[in-house]
Amino acid sequence: MIDFVQNTLDGLAIGSAYGLLALGFTLIFGVMRRLNMAFGPSILVGIFAGAWLHSHWSAGMIPVFLATLAGAVIASAYVERLSFAAIRGDAALASMASSFALWMQLEEAVARVFPQRTYAFPTFEGLPMLELGPLFLRPEYLVMFLTAAALVAGLQVILTRTLFGLHLRTLSDNREAARVSGVNVAQVALLTFLLAAAIGGVAGFLIAATDGQISTKLGMWATMKGLIAMVIGGLGSMRGALIGGLALGVVEAQAQWYLGASGREITTFALLFVALILLPVGLAGGAETGARAEAGRRL
Amino acid sequence: MLEIRDIKTTYGKIAALKGVSLDIREGGLTCLLGPNGAGKTTLIWTISGILKAQSGSMKLAGEELAGLKPHQIVEKGVVTVPENRLVFPEMTVKDNLIVGAFSRRKAKGGVEEDLESVLDRFPRLRERANQEAGTLSGGEQQMLAVGRALMARPKILLMDEPSTGLAPIIVEEIFEIIGKLRDEGRTIFLVEQNANLALDYADHFYLLEQGHVTFGGQPGEVDHDELIARAYLGARKAS
Amino acid sequence: MDGYTISVLSNIGLFAFLAISAWILLIAGEISFGQQAYFAIGAYSGGIATAVWQWPFAAGVVIAVALGAAVGALVAWPTMRLSGLHYAIATLAFAELTRASLNVFTYRRDIEGFATGPDGANGFGDIRWVYEAGIEPGAYLAIIAGCLGAVIGLVALMSYGRGMARLRIVGEDPILAAMQGLSVTRTKIAAASLAGGIAALGGALYAHLATYIEPAQFSVMTGVHALAYGLIGGLGTVLGPILGVLIDIGLLESLRVFAGYRMIVFGGLVVLVLIVRPRGLLDEPTMRRVQAWLRR
Repeated sequence: MIDFVQNTLDGLAIGSAYGLLALGFTLIFGVMRRLNMAFGPSILVGIFAGAWLHSHWSAGMIPVFLATLAGAVIASAYVERLSFAAIRGDAALASMASSFALWMQLEEAVARVFPQRTYAFPTFEGLPMLELGPLFLRPEYLVMFLTAAALVAGLQVILTRTLFGLHLRTLSDNREAARVSGVNVAQVALLTFLLAAAIGGVAGFLIAATDGQISTKLGMWATMKGLIAMVIGGLGSMRGALIGGLALGVVEAQAQWYLGASGREITTFALLFVALILLPVGLAGGAETGARAEAGRRL
Repeated sequence: MLEIRDIKTTYGKIAALKGVSLDIREGGLTCLLGPNGAGKTTLIWTISGILKAQSGSMKLAGEELAGLKPHQIVEKGVVTVPENRLVFPEMTVKDNLIVGAFSRRKAKGGVEEDLESVLDRFPRLRERANQEAGTLSGGEQQMLAVGRALMARPKILLMDEPSTGLAPIIVEEIFEIIGKLRDEGRTIFLVEQNANLALDYADHFYLLEQGHVTFGGQPGEVDHDELIARAYLGARKAS
Repeated sequence: MDGYTISVLSNIGLFAFLAISAWILLIAGEISFGQQAYFAIGAYSGGIATAVWQWPFAAGVVIAVALGAAVGALVAWPTMRLSGLHYAIATLAFAELTRASLNVFTYRRDIEGFATGPDGANGFGDIRWVYEAGIEPGAYLAIIAGCLGAVIGLVALMSYGRGMARLRIVGEDPILAAMQGLSVTRTKIAAASLAGGIAALGGALYAHLATYIEPAQFSVMTGVHALAYGLIGGLGTVLGPILGVLIDIGLLESLRVFAGYRMIVFGGLVVLVLIVRPRGLLDEPTMRRVQAWLRR
């Protein structure tokens, strides 16, 4: 029982990072109705920018964090311009394929510059292990969870209190209505993309800082986790993305503990497959949003 | 020919059918009028099997249609000309017409002849036979959709708001086509918002309001101007 | 032909099966991230048939195709009512589930003093039927080309009949297709089954050429590549996905100038193509023009 609770705790921490990745996906999908496969690899660029700063200039956590964020945002802007802004009209498939091509490009570019298998990433050193009765909490996990919570709160403020947030929400809910009400779709789309990249950058930084080492596989890893968590959550709602991320984190942590690494993979994907068939609206349920209706249509 | 009894369908939050009964008579034009959101399209989609009725029956010459899949209903001879999504825009006009004959499993023969007769009926389609359907005007697309439905050799033709989005002069032209089909003795079920025009052609009509059929009769039988005005303007039913 | 050319051509042929498999589902209006699962199923079942059960090669290929088609239909049955993104993720989940299961799948038998068969993550080696039968690489390339020709012929036959038109209209507008009397579910299940069989055929041929296969070869990356080939080459014809493979493997790998930068160049090329032609190089209008030109 203690194990189960401990795993749940760890899973929720990792899951909060998954939730951030899913949030980034959801923001982009909500506004563009297109899938950004290069989301993870954009984050990868950021993480390696941070690692480079760390190894060459022995930079501390804050500069590394800023470099990660900047790298992710710049790479995302590149993706947005080429794969999304440049492909107009009803061409979600083309955007998806194009972003996949940029995924390969970014990953290969990173691998060219950083040829080793793994690189060191600065960790949160000197933070004590937290004890909660019989339970333990890695301090990195606490940082992860709290940062994610703060970020979600901040996002909530942006979405509800700013004009940009209002435009973003109208676009997610009803594209046509937003367009005729004078929302500058292209501009909101670009800003949303960059906002999503920043959120993804934070998630990537937290994950890299927890592991202490990074490899080029992180790009694909982030895309997959974000995509899966978003779909589990039910697509299109921010709340769903977070719930999906947390659920994925907990399931993975439990399966890893009880069944080992290959058992974890099998369980996770089997559950995902069954959940999609039995519960296509996702864990969050709730009202049909414009984005969700769109997700049900062909891409 | 088609007896619809107490059909109940829910579709999202709007336009549900709350127990609709009506008869589509053989060899005539039956018209269903009603304001926006009354459930007209929901009824068409229910008859064609795209939406499942929760209860009720639909009998085609005594044979139950409720519960059948859309393709089975087409095979029985109930063919729909839908609203808005009229044609396959990427395909040529000719291919669009041939698609209409897909359901004719038993009588595969005669497709060429039927194609010729549809193209004779709509000379404008013949001119554009090898053009992509998406390049046609709204009126021509409506003609193509009707032509494609005819390719299935329908027993009943269901038409959902053929006047939607067309200029008045084109609407007149479409209705002349519908009138001609009726005069040939075909069975047509027409759903329309444009009451005045539809009643010029209808043999029989029903009024659908908020998921209920509130009137059924023949044009001229009663003062339908008042009836329709009441339905469309949302005034209370006097009873 | 020298050995290198033969090996590049063989690779192109093998990936073409996977690309055509993903393309068929694209035509039917579904995105599959998971066709590599059927490639893996074909590779493993074909390999087990010849290496472990010592069946003849042709029987191995047949069992692979049958299994691929059957699993394709079986998976499609519950997932076809999902659509769009949900279906795409379901295919991804199934493919990763397949890969993860192969990681723990062990089935070994003593063949001539050696333990032979799949050994989980360690892979499955000694699929030697082709070499033991003395088939030269050139001859094996001819077998691959023959099978690919048969698949292209089948699709051409379907285009001549009504099969491809059914797939296309179901893909374009399922509701309108249903109103024309088509069973959307049945059409999509048939498409998934066909796609599964074609991918499995490629997989079986691949296993016998490579002689060694392992679960990691059938990752999401492989599946997404297959999807991308059709989107680049064009959705208008079955030659589209093959063109996509040709551009990637043929052009870039054989032009050694790009060595090491292949992904960067290919990625950039794809991005540019898609900006100009969102439905690929050989898209539907292009193919219509070609057909009109041929008719003259």
